[in-house]
Amino acid sequence: MKSSVAGSERRERREDAAISYSLLALSSAFALFPIAWMLSTSFKSEAEALALPITWIPKQFTLQAYSEMWTLKPFGLYFWNSIVVSGVTALLSTVVGALAGYGFSRFQFRGRTSLLAFFLATQMISGVLVIGPYFQVLAALELYNTLTGLIIAYVTICLPFAAWMSKGYFDSIPKELDEAGLVDGASRLQIFLRIICPIAVPGTVSTLLFAFLLAWQDLLWALCLISIDEKRTVTLGVAFLVGEFVIKWPMLTAASLIGSLPTILLYLFLQRLYVEGLARGAVKG
Amino acid sequence: MRSGRTWHDRHLGYLFVLPATLMLVAVLVFPAFVTLKASLTPEGGGGWHLTLGHYQKTFHDPVLLQTFKNTFAFVAWSLVGHFVLGLSLALALNQALPGQTFFRLIALIPWTIPDVIAGIIFRWVLNPIHGALNPLIRMVVPSFPAEFQWLSSPTMAFPSVIFANVWRGYPLVMVMLLAGLMAIPRELYEAAAVDGAGKFRRFFHVTLPGLSTIILIALALDMVWEFRRFALVVTMTGGGPGTLTEVLSTLVYKTYFQFFNFEYASAMAIMMSAVLFILSLPYIILVGRER
Repeated sequence: MKSSVAGSERRERREDAAISYSLLALSSAFALFPIAWMLSTSFKSEAEALALPITWIPKQFTLQAYSEMWTLKPFGLYFWNSIVVSGVTALLSTVVGALAGYGFSRFQFRGRTSLLAFFLATQMISGVLVIGPYFQVLAALELYNTLTGLIIAYVTICLPFAAWMSKGYFDSIPKELDEAGLVDGASRLQIFLRIICPIAVPGTVSTLLFAFLLAWQDLLWALCLISIDEKRTVTLGVAFLVGEFVIKWPMLTAASLIGSLPTILLYLFLQRLYVEGLARGAVKG
Repeated sequence: MRSGRTWHDRHLGYLFVLPATLMLVAVLVFPAFVTLKASLTPEGGGGWHLTLGHYQKTFHDPVLLQTFKNTFAFVAWSLVGHFVLGLSLALALNQALPGQTFFRLIALIPWTIPDVIAGIIFRWVLNPIHGALNPLIRMVVPSFPAEFQWLSSPTMAFPSVIFANVWRGYPLVMVMLLAGLMAIPRELYEAAAVDGAGKFRRFFHVTLPGLSTIILIALALDMVWEFRRFALVVTMTGGGPGTLTEVLSTLVYKTYFQFFNFEYASAMAIMMSAVLFILSLPYIILVGRER
């Protein structure tokens, strides 16, 4: 009796494995096919990319597109802009978000609950609702076409997530640590900076990542707030390549792949942390 | 425990939350009110002479109506695609099979591509002459038209955009569901197996109830994101042919930044936000209750 149960269980498990493997193989093909086609095109000459019938694997393997993107178009500059914008956004939103998170976690001030809800609600505001007036304010302050204007917007968009995330993290750090500091005569700010922050550093990884990726991938704000070539980010630069009258597909595919590289690497290395953070920020807060 | 709180301490909380609150007000809330006011201002008008004219116009605007329908269909089909693919892959990946990590990383790759670039990828894959999809289909179905125009076809353009968005977005739902699956205690399955529950009964009585919260959260978050999706449509079709693949984000953007019809664009943005708010109310209530 017992062995027959085990036998059917084993058979069931083998069936499950077979179904799973076929599903995984199919979905891998689905996931990789478009990217493989990009990769293949990026190693072709322009003539071969437009030749008929199409070639699946480049007949003449060339790195021309990968060199042209830096010489024909200023992708070096676009990358630098993206790195500055995303890096500063990540740092600032994490710091300002952590301050707010600490305030929410440790102080029982009046209006605290409503303010928390307000932070959550601002996450629902869509970019197109606010970008017009924001654009006009930037123009009035002469911050139009500056990376600063872009960074301020990105930092703000990231703040609700950053504050909720860090509040959750601070909540998990015992309050007794703060109280010990108070007894020793430290000020609240000193406690925050010297005692709590060092412990909370691992908790900031997902916020840093979230903010960096948001800034790196955004198109809407960059499109509306940047109109000169020298200030374009990578995504904006790539988007403008599509708009050109004659699209150079090998260069466009090469630039797209190189432009995705930072996000590909960050996501794959840090996906677990990111998802945990997302679930945590969303569920518990 | 915290009886020794002083005046100082009670008000210090405000100082900590002040910078973030100020930024949110300055960059999001204040502009949102400016937009609200603009939506009530007659074209070219100023001051506090207000009108509901733009909103009246929205109800008779065939393009806006079409765009609302497009956006709903885009969100609904994207969610269905993300959920079906995400759940089946999460179930497949949760079995601790050899090679699981490898497949998991591959399944995640579309998620790592910025949506600007996902749009470009599919524009190139679906290119009628030089793209990869038509030759691929013709290998299986030789009678398929050689230069099928996916993105300028009135019937296929919109499904193509949704397809691309399913490709781009399923991994996030997948990882969230996978995290949920891993959190279901093994003992529950063992107990169900001892009780003689088969595969399907275990799925419906153990797996689905255990996942219900995370499913709700994943789909709610996904809905908010897909409702605002912008860059994928911009680089893939730009809203065309005609307005067949236009979504609300692209329409508001064009009306404001290309046609400079600020007041009308504002009214559309307000309507869009109101609809999104109503759609996400269940989620907001759910999160509020969890807290």
